[in-house]
Amino acid sequence: MKLCSRQILFFLAAVAPVGKMVLMPARLAAAAGNDLLFPALAQLLVQAALIFGVLLLSRRERTLFSLLEGAAGKWFARVVCLLFSLFLLFAALLPVIEQKIMVRSIFYDTIPAHLVFTPFFLFSAYLCSRPLAALGRMWDILAPLAAVGIAGILLLCTGSCDLAALAPAGAAGWRGFGSGMTVTCSWFYDSALLLGLIGRFPYRKGLAWKGALCYLAGGAALLLFLAVFYGVFGEIAVLQTLGFARVSAFFRALPVLGRIDYLFVFALAFVMTFYVILPMQEAVGTVAEAFGSPAPLAPLLSVGVNLAMLAAVYALHFSPSATVSAMTSSLFWIYPIFTAALPLLLALRFGRRHARIS
Amino acid sequence: MHAFLKRLPMKLWILLFALAVFTFFSNDFALVDIQKTALVLAAGIDREGEAFSLTAQIAVPKGTDRTTGGTSSVEIEGKGATVSDCLTDIYARTGWVPKLIYCDLVVLGESAAAGDVFDCLDFFLRNEYIPDACLLAACEGSAKELISSTSAIDDTSALALEKLFSAAAEKSGQVMTTTLREFAIGYYGKSGSGYMPYVRAEQQEGSAQGQGGARSSGGTQQPQQEEKIYSARETAIFSGGRLAALLSAEETFAFSLLEGNVYAGTLTEGGKTYVILQERGSTQIGEADAPAVTLRVDCKLQLYGEDSTSSPERLAKGTLTDAEEARLSDLLTRRLQALWERCARADCDLLFVRRSLWRASPARYAAWKDIPLSDYAVTVLARAEGLR
Repeated sequence: MKLCSRQILFFLAAVAPVGKMVLMPARLAAAAGNDLLFPALAQLLVQAALIFGVLLLSRRERTLFSLLEGAAGKWFARVVCLLFSLFLLFAALLPVIEQKIMVRSIFYDTIPAHLVFTPFFLFSAYLCSRPLAALGRMWDILAPLAAVGIAGILLLCTGSCDLAALAPAGAAGWRGFGSGMTVTCSWFYDSALLLGLIGRFPYRKGLAWKGALCYLAGGAALLLFLAVFYGVFGEIAVLQTLGFARVSAFFRALPVLGRIDYLFVFALAFVMTFYVILPMQEAVGTVAEAFGSPAPLAPLLSVGVNLAMLAAVYALHFSPSATVSAMTSSLFWIYPIFTAALPLLLALRFGRRHARIS
Repeated sequence: MHAFLKRLPMKLWILLFALAVFTFFSNDFALVDIQKTALVLAAGIDREGEAFSLTAQIAVPKGTDRTTGGTSSVEIEGKGATVSDCLTDIYARTGWVPKLIYCDLVVLGESAAAGDVFDCLDFFLRNEYIPDACLLAACEGSAKELISSTSAIDDTSALALEKLFSAAAEKSGQVMTTTLREFAIGYYGKSGSGYMPYVRAEQQEGSAQGQGGARSSGGTQQPQQEEKIYSARETAIFSGGRLAALLSAEETFAFSLLEGNVYAGTLTEGGKTYVILQERGSTQIGEADAPAVTLRVDCKLQLYGEDSTSSPERLAKGTLTDAEEARLSDLLTRRLQALWERCARADCDLLFVRRSLWRASPARYAAWKDIPLSDYAVTVLARAEGLR
């Protein structure tokens, strides 16, 4: 079973933006103030270019491990895949923490017990043990759900949004832009996510530019969301760590209609769940392929990975701010190694149309 | 090895499942029994020296049949060094866990509004379980008295007050409402200003027991209390989080017009009442080298009522004469000028002039931000136009 190219496009256009709508807007507002759109736009353009490159790599219809093995041998490929998987697990920590914070704050009306998030890892362990190709059907379902969720939330925000809050453009200066770029590295790793999927879907003509365009279309929705987010919260945007779950609560008809915004919030929270699990799932799939027959190894790895993630999440339970700061400020440099440098090196090595693969 | 790997995952699966189920079900999910939960409908805050007092209006079921069903309430007061401390005090004294997720109204008493209101509002802003969409209001006297008073129109004073702050009331131009989010944006923004409706409670004349007068407090029969009706036609304006001045009902109406809120609101002048069918208001920063601001309001009005009998033809048309238009334009101009002067005297940037300046030109903002509003040149352009 393989993913199909349509499902990849669905992921890039609709699922990928959702993961950047929880904590990122507040962190970005803290770094770049009212200029938060510029770093996000720059990241989107860079990622779109990288996604174009990664999708070109997928023309060979060989997985990352297979490409590396063909180029530099099995052990080299194993080491790189292991490092790549460790990066994916590292990258997964932030969205898992975001998901935990969101579940605890949105789904409960007072602070719930620490352990309420534990069943997430049970679901995650199940998904991670599934082959990566099984993602495709999920994305078929999640893409329209995400589109409806984003559209619904944006619609409910229009009355309470003051887009003039984005003025004056450039007030944060280059320093704000640089800080914004640094902070957002932790959310823009879609090229790395796609790299873990190459070889698992057939390349159709034009998929590379279609993928980049779909990513930019999803990025446009993300930019619109960021603009609306800042328009709604203005100077207190830095406080709003729950992003899409909070922004639509000011719709004037909510007292009459009830919390209809939760329909859209829950839709996005559901999509977010799969997006959060994806890096872990890819890490398991990549290592399972590199180190043995995936069938018996994947469930074992899945259990191990999720137990480790569970332990990490609860070990960091009382230092969420320090963890997020460490990942977005001190350790941000790890991201470009795997989201930009690795795909670029692979593109240089295998990007030529007629390059022979030994 | 292969056989081991094949069998091990299933065992680990079972182990993980058992662990998750055990951890999940070994506690009560920290959910609170509904009987021990206090659903706070509104909170009133007063300052007592360095400490605060918070009066929580808590919803209690009134009855189950049609005649007695509905929401009744009890008011519980907690005291402490912070607002959070006050809630803990309520919890300690009653055993009720206060839940603020349904708290749609926060009322600040005179004493709380006299100091920086964010000393107490920051709790509501930082708490994830309190909606930032909750309404804010300041009141005459103490918030405790207002929250604990008996409304003539509803069983619960908070619900009666919220009626005053409805979207329809706001469109009438008689009240300017604000939410915690809007107030916080103003407070932390370049203008450092904001506003809240100012509530006064008046005794309802000649009513022994109105529609909502028969309140039950915890199911016990209470002695008949004075029933109150509330008015929020004045607006409290804040600078740096402190109450700077009160806008009169006329100035509040002018402020509403400037904000472009009014639709079907009425205006009375010279024994005639006019309804506003359409209006546009704006505050513009001048392009000149000196700080200048233009307040502009354009209204379309229709004659709505007179204190004398009119001919059927005049009743049918509802149009305005040129003299009426001029008189109304002059009235609106005077009200807008009074609004500006009130804000300028209190140096309250209610119309967010400095914020607009920042958005238009950070350089000019840097140069003019410390200039008092009273030194701004102000131009008022108000035009009232009847139907043709």
